[in-house]
Order: sequence, then structure tokens, then C-alpha cells
Amino acid sequence: MYGDLGLKLVQHAKRTQSLVHLPPFQAEMVRAVTREVRDLDRDVTEMLEPFDGHFNPSEDPATACSLLVRHLCMRRNKRCLLAYHRVRSDKIEEMCWNGSDLLEQIQQGTGKWSDEEGGGLGGASGGGGNTSGGLGAADGVNTSSLSPEEAEYARQYSDLLAAYKGQWTDIDLTGSLEPPRDLFIDVRVLKDAGEIQTEYGAITLTKNSQFFVRQGDVERLITQGFLQKLN
Amino acid sequence: MDIDDLLQEFEDKSVPAGTRDINDLTQAWIAERTAPEILPYQNDLLERLMERIRAQIELVETQTGDLDPKTNFSLILIQTELERVKFLVRSYLRARIHKIDKHAIHILTTPTTRGNLSAPELSYLKSHLAILNSHYLSSFLRNFPEQLRRLDDKAGGISMVEEPDLDGAVFCKVVRDVEDRTVKILGTDAEFELKKGDIYVVRYSAVREFVLNGEVELI
Repeated sequence: MYGDLGLKLVQHAKRTQSLVHLPPFQAEMVRAVTREVRDLDRDVTEMLEPFDGHFNPSEDPATACSLLVRHLCMRRNKRCLLAYHRVRSDKIEEMCWNGSDLLEQIQQGTGKWSDEEGGGLGGASGGGGNTSGGLGAADGVNTSSLSPEEAEYARQYSDLLAAYKGQWTDIDLTGSLEPPRDLFIDVRVLKDAGEIQTEYGAITLTKNSQFFVRQGDVERLITQGFLQKLN
Repeated sequence: MDIDDLLQEFEDKSVPAGTRDINDLTQAWIAERTAPEILPYQNDLLERLMERIRAQIELVETQTGDLDPKTNFSLILIQTELERVKFLVRSYLRARIHKIDKHAIHILTTPTTRGNLSAPELSYLKSHLAILNSHYLSSFLRNFPEQLRRLDDKAGGISMVEEPDLDGAVFCKVVRDVEDRTVKILGTDAEFELKKGDIYVVRYSAVREFVLNGEVELI
């Protein structure tokens, strides 16, 4: 049925809105909807061919109607595709704003996944660690949830954001949008983050330790998930 | 003129310029967050404030080594204030960016709203649209028939360009006396009067001109 796939894409988009991460790009579906549009367009051209550019809708209402339906279908499919891509690019932008280095994260994410997979398989089969590790890595590349175009977009957008941010260096545009309550906060270290320099000297952040530090100094580490803010 | 007016005048004079700037910024920030459309960019105000933020940061840096508890204490006060002002500026700019992203094409094609942007915002808007456009194009639009590739199509009764909803409801307060006090709400036969100190919930379009010339504040 024409239009079914478009609906599916929109449902995907709707679901994406409430997810924290970005689900894999539905390349197959996007291709199918695009193909549908091209088919419809070909139909329209074929239907109009015998009229030789002098089509009068009132003389042939049946053809006019089916033309209209096809045109509307194409437009609808376009809207569905745009909606799907827009939701995803919004999500990508949001990630850029949140300061997480998107591309790196994806690579890390898939890398970790394939490592685990490889390790698990290797452990189970006892000897074939090398081959299954290789397989895992190959799968890892395929599971990247961005399409190549989206990866490119993410790169361009973070460049753009960096350029805009560069004009407001004193403000740190990507900083927290929570109104600051206290200058100093209690933080707990969740992951080893090495040594950081503050105006009161260097602090070594080792896992599970707790510090009373200036919020501005550790903002970045909190968003990156190294530290947790305690109330 | 009654006692309130006298008090008001007294207050206006007694507030130092710096505090007034902060108050103005707070007001601009509130307005930007509540108004459906993008408001004029407060260039002078922000420049003055940024100047002062830089000066304060420098002051903090030069005095940090000082171990005298007295300066230490005042430093903490300065830094707290600094963080607060930085938050205001950040949130103000982010609210604008949000609107710019949302109504990108509309802002770009309407000269009056376009003039409300600062130069960096305008270039951000343009490059953002450009990369978004090429993203769509390379993802699927390039496989489309020629006549369906536009992103600002108005055919089929639905415009693709998203516009701000100027009829959205806003809370507002009349801060100055308005000469022509009676305001008609477009499209209805409702009327109301703007009197100083009054607070209303109305459509933004009804009070828009008063908001822009500062007679009415959004709250």
C-alpha cells in the first residue's frame, strides 16, 4: 500500500523523540519511501503523456482524481521523510549542545560493544578469540546509529556550534541551563578523571572520592559523566 | 501624581547604572523566554555587561593569590554574582538560538525579524540552514523529482515554513502609561484598557507594539 512506509517512518520519529539515545537509521525504509515517490512521479508522467500537455481536469475527472491522489501521496511521503530526518537532526544538535563529542561517542560505543561481543564469544568458544573478535568489530561498524549523511551533518553542526560559541568564550554557552545556586558544590567521582587544575591548586579525581569544588571548574566533567553532583 | 509615582522616580534615580543593566538583562531574558517571536537583540546592553564580566574575571584572577580572609570573602561574593550573570546571558542567548532554529526560514525571509538578530546569530542561522539543507538533499531529496525538492513549499494548502504563533497567550504587565489606552484584540470584538500596573493574560499580537516600545513588559 502506498503511504504505509511513510507512516512507519513517522512512528519511528515519534518514538525517537522520547528516547535518550538515537536509534539506528532506517536506511532501508527511507530508500523504499523515496522509491515510492519516484514510482508515483513516473506514473504521473505516464498518465499525462497521452494528453501532450493539454490536460483539462473537467473533461476527464477520473484521471484528474488519480493524478491528485498521486500528487498528494508524493507530498505526504516528502513530509514523512522530512519529519523523520528533522527529528533525528534535532537530536544530533541536542547532543552537540550537551557537549558530548558525538562522533567519538559513537565510535567508542560501538567499539566497546564489539569488544564485549568479541570477548564473550572468544571466551565461550575457548580458542577462536581472534576470529570472533574480528566479526564483532565488523558488526560494530554496521550498528552505528547514524547514516553517513547524518555523521557528516553532526560534524558540520558541531563546527558551526564551536564557531558561534567562540564569540562568547567568557560565558560558556553550552554550560548548565540550571540557575546557579551555590558557587561550590559537593561532587562524587564516578570514574577516574585524572588531575584537574583549579585556582585552589590541583585536585586528583580518583574514583569514589568526594570533593567540595567550585561548580564552574567541574561543570564539564559532570556533563561528561565523570562526576556526580550531590545535593 | 501620587506617592507611588514619587517613590518610583526616587527609585529610578537611586539605582546605579550597573544594577540597572542587570535588571534590564533580566527583563530582556524573561521577555525572550515568553514572547513567541524573536525580539530585538540587546546589543549595547550585552556589550556593556560583557565588558564588566571580563573586568570581574580579571579582578578575580589577580586577587586569587591573596590569602587575606577579607578579600577571599569578597571574592566569593563576586564569583557567585559572576556565575549568576553568566547564567542570565547564557540562557538569554540560548533562548534566542532556540527560536532561530525553530523559525529559521521565516526569520530569514522576513526583513523586520531578520533585523532583530545580531550579526553572529544571522551567520549562524544561514550556515545552519545551509548544512541542514545539504543534509536533507544528500539523504533523500536528491532522489526526488525536481519540483518536490523545495523546502519552503506552500502548495497543497500547507506551508512548510514554520512561523511563530503571534496569537499565543502571554502574561504581561503595563509599566508605563500608554497614551492611546484602549486595545482591540484582532479578530474578536474584545477590548481592554492599558493602565499602569495592570496585569493581563492576552494574545501576544494584541500587545506586541507596546512590548516592543517598552510600555508593556512580559512577565
